[in-house]
Amino acid sequence: MTAAQTTSSGDLSPEARRAAFIVIPAYNEGACLERVVRDVRRLYPNVVVVDDGSTDDTLEAARRSAAFCLRHAINRGQGAALQTGIEYALLRGAGCVVTFDADGQHDPADIAALLAPICAGECDVTLGSRALGRAVDMPASRRVLIWLSVRFTRWVSRVRVTDTHNGLRAFSRRAAQGIHITLDRMAHASELLDLIRRSGWRYREVAVRIRYTPYSLAKGQSPRGAVRILIHYLLGRIMR
Amino acid sequence: MTVMQLILLAGVVCLFALTVAATLLGWATRRECAVLLALWIAAALGIAFPEETTRIARAVGVGRGTDLLLYCSVLAMMGGFLMVYARLRALRREMTLLVRHLAIRGAIVTTDRQETPGDPPPPRD
Repeated sequence: MTAAQTTSSGDLSPEARRAAFIVIPAYNEGACLERVVRDVRRLYPNVVVVDDGSTDDTLEAARRSAAFCLRHAINRGQGAALQTGIEYALLRGAGCVVTFDADGQHDPADIAALLAPICAGECDVTLGSRALGRAVDMPASRRVLIWLSVRFTRWVSRVRVTDTHNGLRAFSRRAAQGIHITLDRMAHASELLDLIRRSGWRYREVAVRIRYTPYSLAKGQSPRGAVRILIHYLLGRIMR
Repeated sequence: MTVMQLILLAGVVCLFALTVAATLLGWATRRECAVLLALWIAAALGIAFPEETTRIARAVGVGRGTDLLLYCSVLAMMGGFLMVYARLRALRREMTLLVRHLAIRGAIVTTDRQETPGDPPPPRD
């Protein structure tokens, strides 16, 4: 399987924008969630926020800003929250599903470039890539961590990608219907790549811009967290 | 037979009985029951005929019967840990499915209320 890569930014019709459901999993993101959701909703009306059992005011922020707000009664992890959001979006008749991080790292303007190839029927899945695009203010330690995880993913999942664990992705309705994330926590990103390979979905990487802020870095993965993800992923593969 | 052997055998008999009772009560599957009963029988034989474990140990190149028992115990313990881990994973998975079901149902009820004219506004937590 090969990945055609693109940097084109598609111009979407209002219908396509309405058909796209943006799923944002959020855990203790009360500080910036409202701004992130409002920025996305300027372009895409259907935003689904899944509050993953937060202990701060994430739920209130989501209710004030999102079109659809779901709440996990207890924290189950980002993978579980994404699956919940995707299932709900499909129930609401989503034509495409986009996953988007709640910490303000992603640029809503990049969503159009992710959706354009899917709307044109050229592929089923598009994956945001900071290696093809830009990573603003990315620390060197994070660069090394991502480089290692990309090499590992290419080796284990056998999917030719330039970036991994990037939360900005888009799925056609058909592909979204085939998603069944079983790794509840952060290892779901690798599980999704395995699923793409197994399902034979046509996928493409799209250049996106990731902006690192002190807030997003504090919420992001440490090397210890990366090791934990690795263990969860490998155990998940063994004990499927 | 020494006193120690008798005490250990009594312990194994208790474990055997507990395993059968747990299976009859539905706490363990038949497969788990079969594995555990085989383990208890092997343990009882090892206690009753210690010289036989040494003979088997020599046959497989371990040397001493106690070493063979130690290695087998470590393996059995690892298997036990894996079984418990697998069950824990299954429980977590069920918990996630339940949490998801509640979240989606709650959102559908709330959205439907908002979309029905004349209905009172949805309750806020």
